[in-house]
Amino acid sequence: MAEQRAQPIAVDRGFWTVTLVLAVLAVASIVFWILFPISKYLPEAIITARQVDTMFRFMAASGSALYVFIVGYLIYFSIAFRAKATDPPDAIGVQIHDNPKLEFWWTLLPAIFVLLLSVISVRIWYEILLEPENGLVIQAIGHQFYFSFRYPNVNGEITDEMHLPLGEPVTLNLTSADVIHGFWVPAMRLKNDTVPGLVTTIRFTPQLAGRYEIICTQFCGVLHSQMHKQVLVIEDRASFDKWYQGWQQRNAHVSNALPAAPGQAISLQGGDAAAGKTLFAQKCTACHKLAPFDQRLVGPGLQGVLHDPAHPNLVNGKPATPENVAGILQNGFTGSLGTMPNASANGLSSQDIANLVAFLNTLKL
Amino acid sequence: MSVAAVHSGGIADHIHPEPQGFIRRYVFSLDHKIIGIQYLVTGFVFFMLSGLLAETIRTQLLNPNGGFVSPETYNEVYSIHGSAMVWLVVIPLLTGGFGNLVFPVQIGARDVAFPWLNMLSFWIFPVSGLMLFSSFLMGAPTAGWMEYPPVSLQGQAGTSMWAAAIFLVGVSSTMTGLNFLVTILKMRAPGMTFTRMPLFVWGQFATAPLLMIATTALAAALAALFINREFGVPFYDPTKGGSPVMWQHMFWFYSHPAVYIMILPAFGIISEVLPTFARKSIFGYKMIAFSSAAIALLGFMVWAHHMFTSGLAPFLQLPFMILTYIIGVPTGIKIFSWTATLWGGKIHYSTAMLFAIGFVALFTLGGITGIFLAAIPFDLHVHGTYFIVGHIHYVLVGGSMMGIFAGMYYWFPKMSGRLLNETLGKWHFWLFFIGFNGTFIPMHWLGMLGMPREVATYDPQFTFWNRFETFASYLMTFAILIFFVNIIWSIRYGKKAGANPWGARTLEWQVPSPPHYYNFKHVPTVYGLPYDFSQPLPYKGLEEELTDSPPAVAAGAH
Ligand code: HEM
Ligand SMILES: [Cu+2]
Repeated sequence: MAEQRAQPIAVDRGFWTVTLVLAVLAVASIVFWILFPISKYLPEAIITARQVDTMFRFMAASGSALYVFIVGYLIYFSIAFRAKATDPPDAIGVQIHDNPKLEFWWTLLPAIFVLLLSVISVRIWYEILLEPENGLVIQAIGHQFYFSFRYPNVNGEITDEMHLPLGEPVTLNLTSADVIHGFWVPAMRLKNDTVPGLVTTIRFTPQLAGRYEIICTQFCGVLHSQMHKQVLVIEDRASFDKWYQGWQQRNAHVSNALPAAPGQAISLQGGDAAAGKTLFAQKCTACHKLAPFDQRLVGPGLQGVLHDPAHPNLVNGKPATPENVAGILQNGFTGSLGTMPNASANGLSSQDIANLVAFLNTLKL
Repeated sequence: MSVAAVHSGGIADHIHPEPQGFIRRYVFSLDHKIIGIQYLVTGFVFFMLSGLLAETIRTQLLNPNGGFVSPETYNEVYSIHGSAMVWLVVIPLLTGGFGNLVFPVQIGARDVAFPWLNMLSFWIFPVSGLMLFSSFLMGAPTAGWMEYPPVSLQGQAGTSMWAAAIFLVGVSSTMTGLNFLVTILKMRAPGMTFTRMPLFVWGQFATAPLLMIATTALAAALAALFINREFGVPFYDPTKGGSPVMWQHMFWFYSHPAVYIMILPAFGIISEVLPTFARKSIFGYKMIAFSSAAIALLGFMVWAHHMFTSGLAPFLQLPFMILTYIIGVPTGIKIFSWTATLWGGKIHYSTAMLFAIGFVALFTLGGITGIFLAAIPFDLHVHGTYFIVGHIHYVLVGGSMMGIFAGMYYWFPKMSGRLLNETLGKWHFWLFFIGFNGTFIPMHWLGMLGMPREVATYDPQFTFWNRFETFASYLMTFAILIFFVNIIWSIRYGKKAGANPWGARTLEWQVPSPPHYYNFKHVPTVYGLPYDFSQPLPYKGLEEELTDSPPAVAAGAH
């Protein structure tokens, strides 16, 4: 036993050699993270995206350096201090209970690091928060299962992709028409939830033209994984303006009529099937296919909804008549498949409803 | 029918006879060791079921457009997978399972303070587990283990069943927490002061108040969800004046402490296994013990780090970021102390030891990515993505599950009298270690590149890594099958263990395997910490434990 205790435990050459090797590896990993071309894999589309990447580089570099040491020593100790076949079976290690000096330093140094990390994070976070407040103010609205946008001076919601002029600050107000969604643009390193009944704001300035994915990051229902949209950052101001004015004209009719209120009497006379068809493509195809009842997307397929002997009733149990279809469009409906928004959520006037019903009536099986 | 063995000062040994008959001994048992085994068996059955669900998830993700199961089914599958792994596997295995099995013996108690309550806690657990899985029959929940409203208000009928099941299993946890806390406070053997308690006991001691306090917040949140869904009281319904964000606060006020419920006992296991096989005192006993307490306390002050994108005011978020960073300090102390424990040891590579060392390596990575996530600027990028999935599996599988496996290889001989097969054990470890890293490392990268979580289909640019993960996960599953084969084989054919196969020094190893009813013939007196291998054992009064003298309660006597 006495010999066991006398085994050299002093920090020896081997330890310092290993420490040196680990230090080299740690430095190598730091250099790796400093040089790693993140933007090659994911563009830095807004000004603060680079800051977020810097934050990541800093944490990844210091994290890997720490990790190299921990795992390095784990492996080194595991090998250096393994029991050998020549050891007596009752051989024991050197009983070290603690080392106040060592423990002091490995409490203090991490604490200092935490302080440093806090300062860096707060600075970068404030740069994100303090993006300019003027500029283009847009509202993004989460729906099951798409995003839509309201631009100043455009009536109603734009269900197309989102266009932004390069270099102009954007204030994006997020909200939701139904459940919580997440609004994430990976290329912008930015996200926020769209919460029903709440408006949250993010601000940024696009610095790189291109087309980027908008992805939903909060589970929002059966088609959550298909809830994508794109944002196009446009360099050429004229083509942005063209798109913008295009929507101002296209949606001009939307503002003229207030959304139909629940229970309001709707005259189905004078429904214009052609206008209904356009409207259907804008407002309905996110959830309904023009296919037989069973081929549902979110809601049922609507091909022949008014002429299908196999489905004489609508999802609300009422007979499939033009009046009852208008009722669902006006009042919405929540069933086992999810929620169909009502006319005000969908921005449908009573004339729109008449047009849509006229269109649906033309669809034969 | 409780055991009135009062600690310190004279032991009033008020002892009941050992019950006879299969039902009273093994089914409705009051013996903490049997209850511990019941928890372990039930927990591992749920582990197998949730593991099957996990492989369903991975198989779906072989292809970017899924196709193995429908999106509805897929959403149900991962929701039950996550819920079951958290509430039916990790928490019960670590608290009800290993807690019951080990810590009362380690403090020299004859049983827990409230054996009937203990039995009740256990029996609620399989019932709520069956309720949770039965939600598949009525349309399981689909909004993940977090079930954020309002989408969970739209969920199918099984969502209410889910809420009821989790509520019930929470009742069971709360009672277990109370029981353990009282046991540790009141029933330690004479001389077992707080600073002589084994570190596994410290792990349970820090966990018990979390179980008691945090779980009540979850219960309230779940009850409100149930009432909202079934009776239409709009707690969380924004169209009627409710607040969906309130759910998030209540859920995370529980679930952040719950991540410590899921790791502190595993820290305890590791702190027992490392010194035993390094043949060396644990390094920095006091710092390890107190850092558990510090983590438990700080754990209540960081919940909103899960809500950085939920629309809270920035000045509210700031303290949550910094307090989360601060938790890194006590966590670091533990990691450094475990590593230092190996220094100067005589390390024996049993399977338990491999899992313990593997734990330190993998958990550390999860802890580091946890700090990344606490940084608001970075979290605004990766919240809700596969980066999170990577992080939680490093801490929960690389951490908690590795701890559970270490505990199984370590204490299986104590509960069964036989050793697990070491060859199979080593296959289990290495295949699991490789499969695990292959499955979860790439997830961090995918998350950063743009893959959101809880998705039945994904962007085809991510196909390669998803396939890679799926194949690695098959390897991991295969390793777990080896583990189950090992258990079944070893129960019958394993090498006889004897009282103390590992030469370990805590009290449970000084009594036969399995211990007698009521654990000790005479309650021992404790003189010091157990961990110094150069000293004689710090116990008195154990002389008769391994002799033929009659046990505290002779079988069949009254
Ligand atoms: C120092 C250690 C740790 C830190 C700093 C940390 C930090 C974090 C943060 C900030 C998040 C939220 C990320 C987000 O949602 O955007 C998170 C998520 C999570 N953490 Fe940790 N964590 C640590 C250790 C643990 C441990 C020990 C466990 C469990 C054993 C754990 C389990 C989880 C889980 C389950 C989630 C994801 C929850 C979900 O969104 O489904 N973490 N962690
Ligand atoms: Cu947390």
